[in-house]
Amino acid sequence: MTGRLNAALPTVLAAAVLLALWQALENLTQGLFFFSGPVAVLRAFVDEAPLLLNAAGITLKSAAIGFVIGNAIAAALATIALAVPRLERLVSGVALVVFCLPFVATGPILRVIYGVGDGPQIVLAALATYYTTYLCLLVGLRSMPASWLDLVRSYGSGRLGELVHVRAMAALPYLTAGLQIGAPAAFLGAMVGEFTGAERGLGVLSIRAMRGLDVDMTWAIAALAAAISALAFWLFGWLGRRVGAEPPPLLLSARRQDLPRSRAAGVARSIAELALLAAVILALWFGLMHFLGLSPFFAKRPQDVSAFLFLDPAAAANRATLMTAFWQTLSLTVPAYCVGLMFGAGLAVILVLRPRLAAGMLPIAIALRSVPIVTTAPLLVLALGRGAVGTITIVAVMIFFPTLAACLEGMRRTPRLVLDLFASYAASPGHKLIHAQIPAMLPAFFAAARMAVPAALLAATTAEWLATGTGIGSLMALTASISNYAMLWSAIVLLALAASLLYALVHWLERRILTIFASEQLAL
Amino acid sequence: MPKPEAPQPPEVTCRQLEKTFRSGGKAVGAVAPIDLRFSAGETTALVGPSGCGKSTLLRLVAGLEQPTHGTVDIGGEPPITVTRRAGLAFAFQDAALLPWLTVRQNVALALRLARRRKDESKIAKLIDLVGLSQFADTRPAELSGGMRQRAAIARCLVTEPGLLLLDEPFGAVDELTRERLNADLPALWQKRGTTTLLVTHSIAEAVTVSHRVIVFSPRPARIVGDFTDLPRDETGRRALMATISNTLAEASAGSSTP
Repeated sequence: MTGRLNAALPTVLAAAVLLALWQALENLTQGLFFFSGPVAVLRAFVDEAPLLLNAAGITLKSAAIGFVIGNAIAAALATIALAVPRLERLVSGVALVVFCLPFVATGPILRVIYGVGDGPQIVLAALATYYTTYLCLLVGLRSMPASWLDLVRSYGSGRLGELVHVRAMAALPYLTAGLQIGAPAAFLGAMVGEFTGAERGLGVLSIRAMRGLDVDMTWAIAALAAAISALAFWLFGWLGRRVGAEPPPLLLSARRQDLPRSRAAGVARSIAELALLAAVILALWFGLMHFLGLSPFFAKRPQDVSAFLFLDPAAAANRATLMTAFWQTLSLTVPAYCVGLMFGAGLAVILVLRPRLAAGMLPIAIALRSVPIVTTAPLLVLALGRGAVGTITIVAVMIFFPTLAACLEGMRRTPRLVLDLFASYAASPGHKLIHAQIPAMLPAFFAAARMAVPAALLAATTAEWLATGTGIGSLMALTASISNYAMLWSAIVLLALAASLLYALVHWLERRILTIFASEQLAL
Repeated sequence: MPKPEAPQPPEVTCRQLEKTFRSGGKAVGAVAPIDLRFSAGETTALVGPSGCGKSTLLRLVAGLEQPTHGTVDIGGEPPITVTRRAGLAFAFQDAALLPWLTVRQNVALALRLARRRKDESKIAKLIDLVGLSQFADTRPAELSGGMRQRAAIARCLVTEPGLLLLDEPFGAVDELTRERLNADLPALWQKRGTTTLLVTHSIAEAVTVSHRVIVFSPRPARIVGDFTDLPRDETGRRALMATISNTLAEASAGSSTP
């Protein structure tokens, strides 16, 4: 018992220090209207507890339904990729592009389709959830020694036997880890869905509080959303441990790829795959709109977007408007993305040099990773103003915590033998860091960097939409409100394309660098 | 008198058996065309330099790999038919125990995979025979390497296969443990008269536990020595071990593979 107490002590201390800092910050910023300390937040919460809890329950319900649907889709996709390996790259490509659809635009369109109901919240929660679960399952369903599968086959069982007896159980730790990341994401998706004009829910209260400049209330809602997300994260971690699932060594890792026969063959294969992917996505897009019988007024088809951007008399002007807004967003998002990654990895490195501090920070970083930062966007904009600083801060904070948690976790997994080797030479902490711990951190860092690409664009566009009134996020909100759906769909295409390309770029860098530094950590 | 569900051990015949793998667009031979007959009820050790393709040969017999040319015949049937009625069992170097199952559940898994009734008393008896009765409800992570192999052997035997394929089952345990395992376990299947193929890199193990030793060349595997009627006395064994060593060294000379 004292052992457990001692282990928890650094975390408790760190949490207490953070709370004290928060309160101190309030005292320091007295007179600034946008800041509330823990005491004021607690008071606001207690005053409006029934209202807040009721709203949270509504949001939670949408999130839970979307979570279940998203994970079912993820399981189906992973099973397809496993059963037909030739389809895996195509399925992953489609899954990525759909994951990269900007909520700020899909939200309002879903709102038009569904009206005032829960539909958009549920769909966005599912969209926010399925991709991480899919990636985790893809690795988990294969993460086993070949002999386990041989064992099943040596009794004449086929793929189904493999799946039932070995793969499903071997994937369990990966699945629970994926669900752990997905649960807070689902809550975030549901809240963003509510931002688009729901009648009830925590997202609605949040917008109302921000518009009414009710600062304590805005903070109380953000804190409640954070608490629920952290609780969901903790719950799935606990469930995972209950079913005996050890946390897997590395989540969301890059896959090793078969070497093509030659460079030219590799390039040719990539081009063919991209062409196929584009064709499938266009077909899906067209087919979905067509078979759901959605009105072409708001449900634009591929040909409408191409006409709007390339064939119309006003095409050049349309393109100029779109691209100006896009560059405005990108010029803030890219630096913020880099800053978030740098600070996350940097703090992880500093903490590792102070191991006791790191032990206390890891659980807090993990808990804060699950906080839906976007839901605090209204606050940060209140605090930092509508200029570039606000957007950059939101994006950087959105990326900072997942990166910090991933990097700390990665460095914690530096092989014991490697550390012993460095100790046996009495190597300095700096040497140990550069030659052992940072290389051990790289796979986790890149996994975080990759997943941070869509997250960064989501954060930037949401901030622009809710607050700053600049960039493509604001353009999307504006065009949605004046029913300029051709522009809205063009923005969706552009953003999904940009996010997918940036993701692919980070993925390419990741494989390049990991082949050199940590080839053994690439998943099979 | 064998029980009705325990079939007669089969004779195994390989005809013109050949396996090549594709690697970077090139065909690499693993098993050269081989003609071999393993007598029913005999234990045969397959010895050769590491990576020579002897494990591939074993996997071909088990139906885990498909031959490029030639056929495998187990008592008149192809491997795939034999595996479907659990007529063979395969032991792996890493024991291949599923970590989320206890020893008892791992042994029971073989019966489940073989679509047979779960026979608690038979499971308990086998766990007892391999010396793990104290650890029946322990998970593999808490067992030593030797104990894991004991559990794996119990799992192999619970379906009473006519053919046992052992791929360096004791290759990853220390020398002392290996000797203890070899003193305890082979008697279990030899008493039943199971046809057994044992891949090993230990000449001593080959000579001690088998009726016949076949020596293979470096990859692609060809037969360079076939020793039957093994001596039972210590002096004869030592002489045979020396002969096998020389055969191996001669076969490896001129090959770039160490």
